[in-house]
Amino acid sequence: MVAIIDPDEDLVRRVGQGDPAAAQALVARKLPRILALAQRMLGDAVEAEDVAQETMFKAWKQAPRWTPGQARFDTWLHRVALNLCYDRLRRRREIPTQTPPDRPDEGPAPDRGLMAAETGLRVGQALSRLPDRQREAVVLCHYQELSNIEAAALMEISVEALESLLSRGRRALRQSLSDLAPRAPAAALRGEAR
Amino acid sequence: MKAQRLHALAEAYGADLRRWPASERAFAESLIAADPSLKAVLDEAAALDALLDAAPAPAPSAALVAKVLAAAPKARRPRLHLDRIALYMGAGWAAAACAGVVAGVGLTSELTANERADAVLYQSSLTGVDDTEVLR
Repeated sequence: MVAIIDPDEDLVRRVGQGDPAAAQALVARKLPRILALAQRMLGDAVEAEDVAQETMFKAWKQAPRWTPGQARFDTWLHRVALNLCYDRLRRRREIPTQTPPDRPDEGPAPDRGLMAAETGLRVGQALSRLPDRQREAVVLCHYQELSNIEAAALMEISVEALESLLSRGRRALRQSLSDLAPRAPAAALRGEAR
Repeated sequence: MKAQRLHALAEAYGADLRRWPASERAFAESLIAADPSLKAVLDEAAALDALLDAAPAPAPSAALVAKVLAAAPKARRPRLHLDRIALYMGAGWAAAACAGVVAGVGLTSELTANERADAVLYQSSLTGVDDTEVLR
């Protein structure tokens, strides 16, 4: 069995021992990442906060009994967050009146230009219109920057199936955003989110 | 065939080769180096990447950070386990009581053995006189 190198291993061990500095460092490292994942999966700021909070609470419970070498902590955290997101997406489908908001609330953005804000909103809308699995593939590979192997393992599919989901997702996004591409200014299109 | 694979990979992973499978990066670089016109494939993917990156990630609110940190595991302080102390004390008392009983029983049997031996000797001395008298 190949040993898994986990960059979070030491931090998680210290969190498990009750080190408050380690807890702060882990929150700084993981909370924005998990919040972004939930926001992009759910397209709802309030639900995303709930998911991020619940995920971190589970991380606190897991830290004291975390066994290094079995999996990367970040991958485990993504699995927990994705499960929570899917629970909520399933609930939405079961209760059709509670449809997700069409426009994700991204909070105030005073330093962003109007065009960039508009582009961001449009991208968020286009993402939320993708089928769940395509959205998950795009979010994991593009935004969360997981490797194809990690993303495929998280989604419990083959790398080939992941590539197919990614291709279809990106094609649909390109189609939805086709009117933006030619007129989008370079400044608005450069990686603000990464 | 190779150009087709390049297309498929750019379609799936975008233009940034860091997102590509590690095993395919060198392949893409060598292919583009050999035929620079294929760079257009990556440029097309880069346009969508740029759009996707225009959607900002939300920053966690201070309230959320505080709530999460408040629930973080705390270092365990050495606690005074009164229940365990009571248990150990009880066990100690019980052991002392048992030892007392054992010692008491031992001492009593020792003492009664001596007494009994004396009584037997006394009785035998008495009967000894009678026997001498009878024999005589």
